[in-house]
Amino acid sequence: MSALPAVLHLPARLQPAVWRGSEVGAAAGAVRRSGWAALDAELPGGGWPVGELVEVLCPRLGTLEWRLLAPALRPQGDADAADGPLALVGPPHPPFLPGLLACGLTAESVLWIRAETLAERLWAAEQMLQTQATGRVLLWLPQSPPPQALRRLHARAGAHLLLALRPASAAADASPAPLRVEARLGPGWSLQVKVRKRRGPPHDRALTLPALPAALQRACAPLALAEPPASPLPHLDEAGDRRVPAGLSAAGQTSRPAAAARGLPVTASLAPAAPAGAFADNRHVVARFVSRDDRARRCG
Amino acid sequence: MWWLALCPATTGPAAAAEADALLPWALQFTPRVARRDEAVLLEVQSSLRLFGGAAALRQRIEREAAELGVARWAWASTGLGALALARAGAPHQRRPLAARLDPLPLAALLGTDHPDLPTLAHIGCRTLGDLRGLPRDGLARRFGADLLQRLDEAYGLRRESYRWAQPAETFAARLELAARVETAPALLLAARRLLLQLAGWLAARQLGVTAFTLGWAGEAGEAPGELTVRTAAPSRDAEFLARLLGERLARVRLAAPVDRLQLRADAVQPYACPNAALLPDAQQQREQAQQVIERLAARLGVQRVLRPLLQEDARPERQQRWLPADAPLPRAAAQGDDGPHPAYLLDPPLPLSLRGGQPAYQGEVLALLLGPQRVEAADWPPDAGAIDPGGAPAAGSPPASASALPADAAGTAEALAAVLPMQRRDYWLARGASTGLLWVFRAPPDTEPARWYLHGIFA
Repeated sequence: MSALPAVLHLPARLQPAVWRGSEVGAAAGAVRRSGWAALDAELPGGGWPVGELVEVLCPRLGTLEWRLLAPALRPQGDADAADGPLALVGPPHPPFLPGLLACGLTAESVLWIRAETLAERLWAAEQMLQTQATGRVLLWLPQSPPPQALRRLHARAGAHLLLALRPASAAADASPAPLRVEARLGPGWSLQVKVRKRRGPPHDRALTLPALPAALQRACAPLALAEPPASPLPHLDEAGDRRVPAGLSAAGQTSRPAAAARGLPVTASLAPAAPAGAFADNRHVVARFVSRDDRARRCG
Repeated sequence: MWWLALCPATTGPAAAAEADALLPWALQFTPRVARRDEAVLLEVQSSLRLFGGAAALRQRIEREAAELGVARWAWASTGLGALALARAGAPHQRRPLAARLDPLPLAALLGTDHPDLPTLAHIGCRTLGDLRGLPRDGLARRFGADLLQRLDEAYGLRRESYRWAQPAETFAARLELAARVETAPALLLAARRLLLQLAGWLAARQLGVTAFTLGWAGEAGEAPGELTVRTAAPSRDAEFLARLLGERLARVRLAAPVDRLQLRADAVQPYACPNAALLPDAQQQREQAQQVIERLAARLGVQRVLRPLLQEDARPERQQRWLPADAPLPRAAAQGDDGPHPAYLLDPPLPLSLRGGQPAYQGEVLALLLGPQRVEAADWPPDAGAIDPGGAPAAGSPPASASALPADAAGTAEALAAVLPMQRRDYWLARGASTGLLWVFRAPPDTEPARWYLHGIFA
């Protein structure tokens, strides 16, 4: 929060609009926690601002938005329990409900609007911003909209969380959004996030945020600690077993030297009882989550 | 007592039909609505507080009455007095009633076709003030008690009694257009009149409409057409209904120029308006989410505004169903399972090319991280499609041959496999350098050359 001299007493609603260049400013309204303390420290107000247009730039739409935004989009405990609808306007691929449930969203709030053209996307987003409840609008804009359209959206954001997802090539375009964040895939399971435009000093170093997809956290907890292989691996190991790629074999077993040198993770503890048990009821379906070490353990 | 008299624009027999059409609309303001001669009389003294005061009520009624085609109106403290002022077209003045009525011509009170008008003109009686000055017993003897009674009622010396109109059980209204209309969106202007009447009737009967039908026809009934608009929640708001109708009319093409319109309410439900707050609130300017969703569905199409429903199945493409958002969702009895689920699911799965035996996507070879997860399923129940209804059904994976079952399979599985095609997939978590975490599967798992498909993206 900027500290103004006592002689300048601004009304409360103008206070966030004034900040010193060396300090990160405040958000004009409420904020939603982003889920990472490092990112909250860099965002004005300590989170994603509600009631303003926020732009998220990704190198390719459809690769990382849920990993970045799921902690902010799920109902946050102390906030209003009756959140409005979550509108997905023009996502690049059809959303998958079990995956969204794993992100912490509720099925009743999800609304998929299949808008195709740029005009339809902008119009649908504007209509969803006119609802009474405090909702969340996720708008994918692969095409470049005219700046006055973005200004309209920003002006009508009201009490909604409005996130516009645009390709990274739009970073060079002028935009009326007060907050622009660029995210890309980082090494391992992380995302690299840089704040391109905000009320505050320029953001110098990119943040590396650990971001395991929410759906994998329950099934694969140990993966959060280890790094996945960074480059493609050879397919077959000497045993000729096509099931398991060489890189995932336990340490000490025969594998390609390059893979062993990297100290790859062991997936031994991978098989919690839940996946096998959940499918036990379906008579006509057999599904099991198998890893090499699990089979080895079972066979003796 | 505060009376309003509304005189429709047309004269003659059509005026009676127009006045009857005004009755349902007028009944939303007060239960005391009556028809007298060719006009409609309303007594609104008891409704002033509900509608926010005399000035607010006057503005609202006058604005809506102008839209409905009322030519003249007047406010007074007696019904017949208001009728006389409306017929004469007198401007509104804040003077005592007698002072306002005295200068009016006799035809204003008696009607232009009263048989005694020439006689009264002969004896020099031209205005109501003159008539009032004549001796009362002479008037009663010469022209009948009826004339005296009308005069007394107009000046407030005698109480008027009316039979108040009742709202009809069903709503069906017609409208003859002044000029022929060629394009469907231009019908909206005329349909607004009918929607105002519908809103009034709904308010009078404490109902909300969930389906209404607008019908049109050309001259002599040629080329009739109709359009039914449905809403998920009952509504009474004429503006909202007009916007919905406008969105639907934008996609209608008229076969012939249209001369007449008809509106009827198909499905109504008891509906109480939400209570108004004591203090005005900016949030109240916004609409309910459901109304916005219906507007989106009206413009984009019902199949493009969707809500998900969870289903129980082992195959990922059957674990959800997308239903149109403007209909109420059925309650989902299913619970999800704990397996890894991507945030996006491609429909249909995308075949991947192979590079050196490994699947490749967008020019990058994918690294397989985790797996395999075997999903075997028979195609039961028969494929209804992932998007319901009318969307593209989920393309089935290539069915595996039944003879590839492992030897330890239960007898039921073999029997099933003999009659139904089995799908077998091995799911893997894969990673591409710039495409993120992907969910790919290989189907069928044991054949060569391997066939890989991209099914989901862990975004």
